[in-house]
Amino acid sequence: MLDRQEYIEIILDHYEHPRHKHRMEDASVQLGGGNPGCGDLITVYLKISDDGKIEQASFEGEGCTISQAGGSIITELIEGMTLDEVKALGKETMIEEIGEDAVKSRVRCATLALGTAQAAVDSYIKTKRSSDEGIDAGPVVERFEN
Amino acid sequence: MSTTVQPDTNPAFAGYAHPEVLVTTQWVADHLDDPNVRILESDEDLLLYELGHIPGAMKLDWETQMQQPVKRDFVDKAGFEKLASERGITNDTTVVFYGDKNNWYATYGFWLFKYYGHDDVRVMDGGRAKWEAEGRPFTREVPKVEPTEYTAKDPDGSIRAFREDVLKHLEQENPALVDVRSPQEYTGELLHAIGYPQEGAQRAGHVKGAVNVPWGTAANEDGTFKAVDELRRLYGEKGITPDKPVIAYCRIGERSSHTWFVLKYLLGYEDVRNYDGSWTEWGSLVGVPNAVGNEPG
Repeated sequence: MLDRQEYIEIILDHYEHPRHKHRMEDASVQLGGGNPGCGDLITVYLKISDDGKIEQASFEGEGCTISQAGGSIITELIEGMTLDEVKALGKETMIEEIGEDAVKSRVRCATLALGTAQAAVDSYIKTKRSSDEGIDAGPVVERFEN
Repeated sequence: MSTTVQPDTNPAFAGYAHPEVLVTTQWVADHLDDPNVRILESDEDLLLYELGHIPGAMKLDWETQMQQPVKRDFVDKAGFEKLASERGITNDTTVVFYGDKNNWYATYGFWLFKYYGHDDVRVMDGGRAKWEAEGRPFTREVPKVEPTEYTAKDPDGSIRAFREDVLKHLEQENPALVDVRSPQEYTGELLHAIGYPQEGAQRAGHVKGAVNVPWGTAANEDGTFKAVDELRRLYGEKGITPDKPVIAYCRIGERSSHTWFVLKYLLGYEDVRNYDGSWTEWGSLVGVPNAVGNEPG
């Protein structure tokens, strides 16, 4: 297990040099999420392959160090995962990635990107199912924690 | 006030009751190497200090350093002395706080230092955002300081209210009690600020009789404090006037420390206390008077 300082270095590295931080024009699904009260905003983009895997993931956003580092970490982590694998992730995943201190102190910030990515997966599944059944499910483009 | 570190005489502060507690970013820039000044950063964002801070500044984290880990309370007197000593602060040091989000936690630190009787504490107006907007330097270098001998005074009970004090306060005919949380928390729609976990109290709403003046309304968009006339109007029109004893509260006493600072030091109210038990405590107390909705109740 890493010590607190090592986890901090990971968070700051992802905050300052975010991976996968870009808009994705050909995403299978995109979803905005956020904690408007503290100014944390994230939009997650997912390109999903026909066999139900995350082919590409990216994000855009602004906010505190932990919420934005979370965007980078999560989009990096979930590429190659199946949709079920993404849905099975939880708070423990973030503890493994950025340490217990940061998650406990700022749980909503730490899980914002993960929660948004999982909601995007849900939205994709719902839309696909409706499409397969010939029903227009309508777009889902936001997920805000109020 | 310290006799060795002159106050910031910026005319923008002249209208405030105690202009000596504010300094500008320029004043801080001019005192970076002043051995009688210790700059402390206190943020809501857990890792901003690590990302870069004003050269020479040290971190004071509200959660892990100002609070006791087991008992719900601030550090005790010995804990405060240790905290000050580890930051190279003596009883004569001029301590300057700054932080993110309108100096939210900077004023929390200011309150704690006043609680333990530190003489010369100041706040950098505009906080971290203003320093950054002006393109001033940040560093990741953490200063190494020699521990000092620091002797704290006994806690100043005149700036802190406990639940018994609030109950007694409510016995007055028109108690001046200001709830500085968001309107949604005040009305009872939410238990916590938007975007934070909805936890911490058994009931939503506000202390019966409290008026709502959200803490952030005391700040301009650039994080500086509003002019004295605006502040006077903001609180006065809600009945929070200098002739009355005032108690401020929020969820855990951090946002209300900002309002406490404004009322006591910028507007010069004599008797202002911060109820740090706040809604997390009050909203779970059995049998106390609560209200929901837009009216004080």
